[in-house]
Formats: sequence, structure tokens, C-alpha cells
Amino acid sequence: MTTPAADENLPELDLSWMNRRGPWDTHAKPGKYGLTLADIQVGEYGETPQQSQNLTGRSRGSPPRRAAMRIGGYTVRTKSDIWVENASFLYEEALQRQWSSATDVPWETIKPLPDDVEQAQCQLATFLTEVEFVAGDVPARWISVTTPDYFEARQVLLAQVMDESRHMDVFRKRALANGGGLMKATGATAGFVGGIDLSRDFTEMSSRLHISGEGAVLTIFRMGELMAYNDAEKAIYRLCAQDEARHVAFGVMHLRYMSQKAPERREEIDTYLDEAEGGMLTDAANPAGRLTQTSESLCILLGGGRDKFDEGFRKIVAIRRRQLQEYKKRVISAGFGERFENGRSRLNELMAQTAA
Amino acid sequence: MAKSKPSKKTTGTPPPLEIPEPKFNWMNQSRQWGTRVSPGKSGLTLDSLNVGIYGEVPPRWTDQGRNPRGAIPVKGALPIGYSVTEKIGLWAPMAAELYEEAIQRRWAPATDVPWASIQALPDDVETAICQVCTEIAQYANVDIEVLTNWQHRMSYGYHEVKQFLATASLDAARRYEAFRKRALTNGGGLGLEPMDQVNRFLLESRGGWTETVAGIALVRGLFLSTMCEYLFRHSYNDAERAIYSYVIQDVSRLIAYGVDHLRYCMARDDEKTSTVATMIAIGLGLMARDLRDPVLREALAIVFGGGIAGARREGMSVFLDFLEDFRERHVALRRWLNLPGDAMSMPRAFRPREPRQAR
Ligand SMILES: [Fe+2]
Ligand SMILES: [Fe+2]
Repeated sequence: MTTPAADENLPELDLSWMNRRGPWDTHAKPGKYGLTLADIQVGEYGETPQQSQNLTGRSRGSPPRRAAMRIGGYTVRTKSDIWVENASFLYEEALQRQWSSATDVPWETIKPLPDDVEQAQCQLATFLTEVEFVAGDVPARWISVTTPDYFEARQVLLAQVMDESRHMDVFRKRALANGGGLMKATGATAGFVGGIDLSRDFTEMSSRLHISGEGAVLTIFRMGELMAYNDAEKAIYRLCAQDEARHVAFGVMHLRYMSQKAPERREEIDTYLDEAEGGMLTDAANPAGRLTQTSESLCILLGGGRDKFDEGFRKIVAIRRRQLQEYKKRVISAGFGERFENGRSRLNELMAQTAA
Repeated sequence: MAKSKPSKKTTGTPPPLEIPEPKFNWMNQSRQWGTRVSPGKSGLTLDSLNVGIYGEVPPRWTDQGRNPRGAIPVKGALPIGYSVTEKIGLWAPMAAELYEEAIQRRWAPATDVPWASIQALPDDVETAICQVCTEIAQYANVDIEVLTNWQHRMSYGYHEVKQFLATASLDAARRYEAFRKRALTNGGGLGLEPMDQVNRFLLESRGGWTETVAGIALVRGLFLSTMCEYLFRHSYNDAERAIYSYVIQDVSRLIAYGVDHLRYCMARDDEKTSTVATMIAIGLGLMARDLRDPVLREALAIVFGGGIAGARREGMSVFLDFLEDFRERHVALRRWLNLPGDAMSMPRAFRPREPRQAR
């Protein structure tokens, strides 16, 4: 870079920084989905270190300044601890599918419901308002300590925090829209050992949050047609299911990456999965679990009224079975299918308990 | 479980299902039943839910779990450990409205920016734009880290603020992404790592959210949005214009939350006026120091001046106009907030320029 002829009346420019650029001549090109995160993973800019030495928070590929202060303070600096392949797909889809609970739900289709059904709906909505943001609070905390070298994974989590914020508000809206109100909280996400909030390792947290917790909720949202009484509720479950599917996919893809790149952690992960299975039917965080408040409200909604509780109960048993089957598929897809062959998993035992 | 009764016989082999006797002991428990909020012309908004007890936002939120505001709390749940538990420490009356606005104005850098409009630029201009993109991406990185570090510490009872911050951190994610994309799409690349004391100042503002907000909104946010306006006026293609205008919108909401919160908080606590003023003075002092580093200053001058040749005369002059505009906006907001200090009390870099001597 050359400086033009000096003009003593004008300020001198240093311009030495112009010769300290990152890899140059980069031409990322938009594809049929626009210019995606995957499209800009070109050359050195697409290379992600296994261990991040980036302590200053600089953008990956930007030449470092030796004098820069270590203001990053990141605790997540090992790629396998947080990475997912194909983060671009999840993130870009999340941005394309952002929706508005104010305007994308046909609220006017909600008509007065029998009191027992409205109460059941409001109890379920209270529970969901309560638990949805655990998946906002906790990923947010991890985002704040993750090196920007792994920003692609971080972007997906940032979109998740936003999704959960919308989930928290859409269920609050539902509870207050039809002559009902909020009912009783459950404390389902309180700070207990092994809980999502307290996990001190990202993968531990993710197996709990993304795989078992959100996985169970996703099954229910996907069966939303069975418990919806109007188009507004159908829309809510459908839109939430779309979002949850991405969150669950993040967890599955992360576990898969971890199991391939850090095989020394496989047994530890199996321990988290043991724990997850142990709580699958009993945890208050599963609305189809054994907590009376949520399971009974689901039974009323699924059956069509308090007097049709039995019919609802049959459906909830089917939901529990489906939750377990879907969990199994996810765990196999994540590369931990062995546990279903070698007797480690309790899934068969749990299948037998779904009717309890 | 209470006594069970066998279900009616269904089909085939599985044993008959034992159906437990329901308790229904959760029914008829609500602090306020009979609530019917109808959608208005902007749909069913978060703010409109604040009716009756659901709109009562207490000055202190003692619940340490995720008890939704207005629900019957659960007793005996172990604490999650929220630390921002007072309304005065985070509340902004506009938060719910800003939340809905953020959602309505969502955009996607991949598809809402006309990337094809970018044509090859002279190397000096491309280098300067890429350096500016690198700096703004770093600002966005700091916003992401700061916002997400605070969000999870805020009590559930003030959900409107938590929800607004979720939009603000996704906005920051989009800024991070959009500027990286711009840097990597036109034959350039990233520029030199910024060494920025304001970044450090924001990351290290761990003591109080209100003080952090003062730095985010009145120092960095206002600086960035003013910078983007100048970049918009001196942009080289529709893609850049799109990015700058989306970012200005997004950052304006963050500033609006900040100003709204500071006003709410300082109206109720005199002490806060002085801590906020101190925080801003430190932030501006650091920003003035950052501006002595030639990198961002010269990169902007090259962009504004259309190249190195124009940077020394036209470019630097526009750069100084930009600082003046920032100063005036900053002073106007201070005045509106009844914060002490005027243009002359700001660091030299932001003081009004002396009139040019006739030669
Ligand atoms: Fe959710
Ligand atoms: Fe989720």
C-alpha cells in the first residue's frame, strides 16, 4: 500500500495497518439460500482450531496484535466441547423461520372452552411458561464464556435463546387470552444436582437440555394436533415444534461430534444418558411425566374433558412410548446406540413403566 | 397414586391398562381467573398481557426460581441463583414494546442483503471497509458476551427485560455475522485485530447492570449507530446500505432500552445518577484513547474519502463531523436524562472544533 505525495497542510496518515490484513482475496459467494455461514467458511477463515488460543476475542482469521489484552476470559476453548458440524444449516434455518407470537398465531380463533378444558390448557401453559426459559438462561450463560473461534455453534445457541423467549411468551399469551389465567408453578427446573442450570460442563448440560428435556417436549409439541382446540393452539404447537426440532438437532449433532472427536469422553456421556433415562418418566420437566399437575392436564386435553380422563390417559401412555422411542433414535443417531445393545440402557424397563 | 381401576378392554395382546384415579388437586387454583386479553392492531402483544395482577411488577422479586409472574408460586424449590432481583436494577417501561418491535423487524443477513450488488472496489477502499467490518464485528462480539452474561442473572419476574435482551443478543449475533460476511465476499478479508479499551470496559463492567447499560447505550451504542449512519451515507453498494440500515434499527432499540432503563432507575435513586455519570466519563475517556490509535480512524477516513487520496482532506473532515455528531447526540441524551456534563466536559477528542484559521 503506498501513500500519495505529502501535502504539509493535511494530517499525515500512518496506514501501516493496511499491510497487516488477514488472508486476502477472499470471494465468498452467495448460493441458493443467500450468503450463508457455510458460504463464508472459505480458506483459512473456515479453519477452526481444536484448541482455541484466542484470549482477546478477535475474529477468527483476523491477524492478532501482540499487544492486545487478554480480555476474553473464555472457559470453553476446546472445539469438541461445543462444536456441531453443519451449524450453518441450523442457524440460517432459525433466522428464516423466526416467527411472531403476536401476529403469526390466529388468536381470534380461540373461542370459550369448557372450564375443565380451559383450566387444563392454562395449567399446561403455566408449566411451559415456567420451563421454556431454562433453555434461554442456560445457553446464554455458556455463550458468554465460549471463544468466538467457535462462533458458528454460538450463533445457533443465540438463535435458541431467542426462540425460547418466544416460547415463554406465547404460552403466557395463551394462558391469558381466553378467560383463564396462570395457574400453579411446578418448580420443575429448580437447582437440583444434575439439573440443566447447575451443569458445569457444556456437554453434560446439552445432553440434559437438548436430548432428554427438549426431546420430550418436542414429542408433545409434534402431537399438538391431539390437544389443540383451535387453530391458534395448533399454530403454537407447530411453530414451537419447528424451533424445538432445531434445538434437539443441535444436541444430537454435538454429541455425535463429541463421540467421534473425543472418544475418551464416551463413557462419561453414557453416565449423563443413564441419568437422563432415569428421570425420563419421573422428572417434572417432562409434562407427560408423573407430575400430577401437568400429566392430568394433558390427559384432560387429550381426552377432551375431565370426564374423558381415561381416554386421555391412554393417549398420554402412547406419548410416553413415543418419547422413549424418539429418544432412542436420537441417541443412536448421536453415536451412542451401543447402550441399547449391551444392556446399559434402561429403556426397555421404562417402556414397561409408561402406563404407571 | 390412589386406587386404580381397569380400563375397558381394547384390542389384542397387551395387558389391560391400569388407569390411575386422577387427583385433580391442581384445579381451581389461580390467583386471577377470568382473564381475556384480546389482540389489538399489532396482534397479541407482550405488553397487552399486563392486566390485573399479571401487570403488577413488584419492586423486588424474591422468588429464586422460574415462577411466572402472576402464577401461584411453588414452595420449597431449590434456588437457581438470580442476582438481579430488583426492578430498579433492570426495568424499562418500554421493554415489552421493544421486544415485539424487534421481532417484527427481524432480518436475515443471508437473504435480506443484496450481496450481488457488491462490485469490486479499489484495493485501498476494500481494505478500509474490511478493517471497519472487523472492528464492528468485534463490537458485536462484545455485545454478545456482555448481554448473555447478564441475561441469565435476571429474575424471572421481570421477564419482559429478559425477553428484550434475547432479541438484543440475536441482533448482536446478526451484526457479527453480517460484517464478517461483508468482509469475506468481495476479494478482501478480515483486517487487523482491534485493540479497544471500550470493549474491555464493557466486558469488565460486572458490578451493576445499570452501569453496564450506560456504557452499552450512551457510549458504544450511540457511537456505533452514528458511525453506521455515516457509513450509510458513504456506502458503495446496496448491500452495504442494507446492512447499515438494519444495524441502525437494531442498535437504536438497544439504545432505547438503555435510555428508558436509565431514566427509570435514576428517577428513583439519586445515587445512580452519579455512578452512571462516572461510568460514562470513564467510557468516553477510554473511547478518546482508542481514537488515538490510527487504525479505525484512518480506515473510516479512507471509506469516507473514497480512497487514500481523499482520506487526508475530505475523509478526515467527515470523520471529525462524525465525532461531532456523536458528541451532540450524546449530549442531547444526557440532557434528556438530567445527567450532569456538557460538550466541554467531554474528552478533547469530542469537544467542538476550533474554527479554522484563515490562511
Ligand atoms: Fe422451547
Ligand atoms: Fe427449545
